[in-house]
Amino acid sequence: MKTGFSVFLAAFVALGASWFGLVYGPLKQLGVATETKVLQSDAKWPLQRTGDATLGLQVYRSAGCAACHTEQVRQTGSANVLTITEIGSHQPADLKGFINSLSGSVIELMNASNAVAANLAGWNGELPKVLYSGADDTVVSMLGDKLKAVGVKTEARVVATGADIARGWGTRQSVAADYLYDAPVQLGNLRAGPDLATIGVRAPDVNWQLQHLYAPRSLVKNSTMPAFRFLFAVQKIGAQPAPDALVLPKEFAPADGYEVVPTAEAKQLVAYLLTLKNNAPLYEAPFTPITVAK
Amino acid sequence: MSDENKNCCSSETGEPTATRSAAPMWIIVVTLALVFAGGLFLDSHSGWFDKNVYAPYQSSAQLEAFQPKSGAAAALARGKAVYESVCGICHGSDGLGKPGQAPALAGSEWVTCNGCNRLLHIPLAGVAGAIKVQGKDWNLNMAAMGAALPDEDLAAVLTYIRGAWGNKAEAVTAAEVKNIRVEIGKSPQPYTGEQLLKMLE
Repeated sequence: MKTGFSVFLAAFVALGASWFGLVYGPLKQLGVATETKVLQSDAKWPLQRTGDATLGLQVYRSAGCAACHTEQVRQTGSANVLTITEIGSHQPADLKGFINSLSGSVIELMNASNAVAANLAGWNGELPKVLYSGADDTVVSMLGDKLKAVGVKTEARVVATGADIARGWGTRQSVAADYLYDAPVQLGNLRAGPDLATIGVRAPDVNWQLQHLYAPRSLVKNSTMPAFRFLFAVQKIGAQPAPDALVLPKEFAPADGYEVVPTAEAKQLVAYLLTLKNNAPLYEAPFTPITVAK
Repeated sequence: MSDENKNCCSSETGEPTATRSAAPMWIIVVTLALVFAGGLFLDSHSGWFDKNVYAPYQSSAQLEAFQPKSGAAAALARGKAVYESVCGICHGSDGLGKPGQAPALAGSEWVTCNGCNRLLHIPLAGVAGAIKVQGKDWNLNMAAMGAALPDEDLAAVLTYIRGAWGNKAEAVTAAEVKNIRVEIGKSPQPYTGEQLLKMLE
């Protein structure tokens, strides 16, 4: 085989290049990642987990939660949004004419004039009113300045857009920084249940979470989630009822004289779920959490 | 053994050998075109493999447009916006001025002197008559363009002028603007170049 060395070299280069691009490069970039800064704040992201929550990740893993739940919010775009919050002494109709004349005459606003006119069509003065929503941040700052000059108050915001955001599963997409303390990362690839990347924001009540694990359909009527009863102990009520016993509706409660008590694993799992927040604005996933008034 | 096999694989003539022939020109052209298109796509969609650029963002410049502005960055963005709408019409977006309309601000000694506040007086009261800028004589009138601006906006735009186009001078605060506005009073008279020069001393 005269070409043996060439074949070896070609294979070496091909595999070496993929290893370099798919293993070495990402490791060099993200393998050394540390906490990042939260936008417009001195806080760091993500927050270190408590011991219970760290153990809870292993419970999440062993219970197979990732088989039906993802932990990744997706985003298809971003928008700079300008909202009118106060119109002062102006009449809506006059203001409409003024804004339309602005977006026809100021060069920076020309490209947005159709979008602004469409947003204003049929507006009869109800507030807050979204005036512009698009990629161009100069339109937002310019329009905000021009309106401020005539006494109209506006708010400029950056929002993420996409189906997951519209479902209320988060305010921005998940990025590598969110998984810094996850080992192993529980991305998941099937959404038989909802995404859990922000479940700590959506359902921050410990008792709700525990009851939902024990009897999902006692809280969410048509839930398809299996009941994780092995994370709970059903025991005879002693001299005093246990302080952490679940308060269950009649049809889900055990027989009289018994109570349902969460085990350590259940408490760890809930502690972990409550740390899933993904709600800090980061440089790589920007959004405006609170409105910035102009 | 059939005849076919015999024809196909007779070993009497020894092992078959590969011969060489040049690749057709069209394959080379198409390959190079594909490589070029791939390069263009990577250039516009990869964000240069920046670890902070995630889809749907395609470049760090695009990501930058969605960063909420605050603090110094917000003041600078504000200053730029005010400059473009008030000052830039005559002094130019590049700060190089326009012949017969306005002298340059980029590198101008009237702008970049540290510790002197001539620059603050000019937009609040205006300038009239002869003035020498970067060794060049001008004889124009500038109205009090900044008198109608709020203190914060005027401070922001002056800070922008002092920091843009290679200028490196200290920032202007809203308090300084306010002091000079009070000093000048309600009915400002435009300065002459000589009056402004005296302020330096």
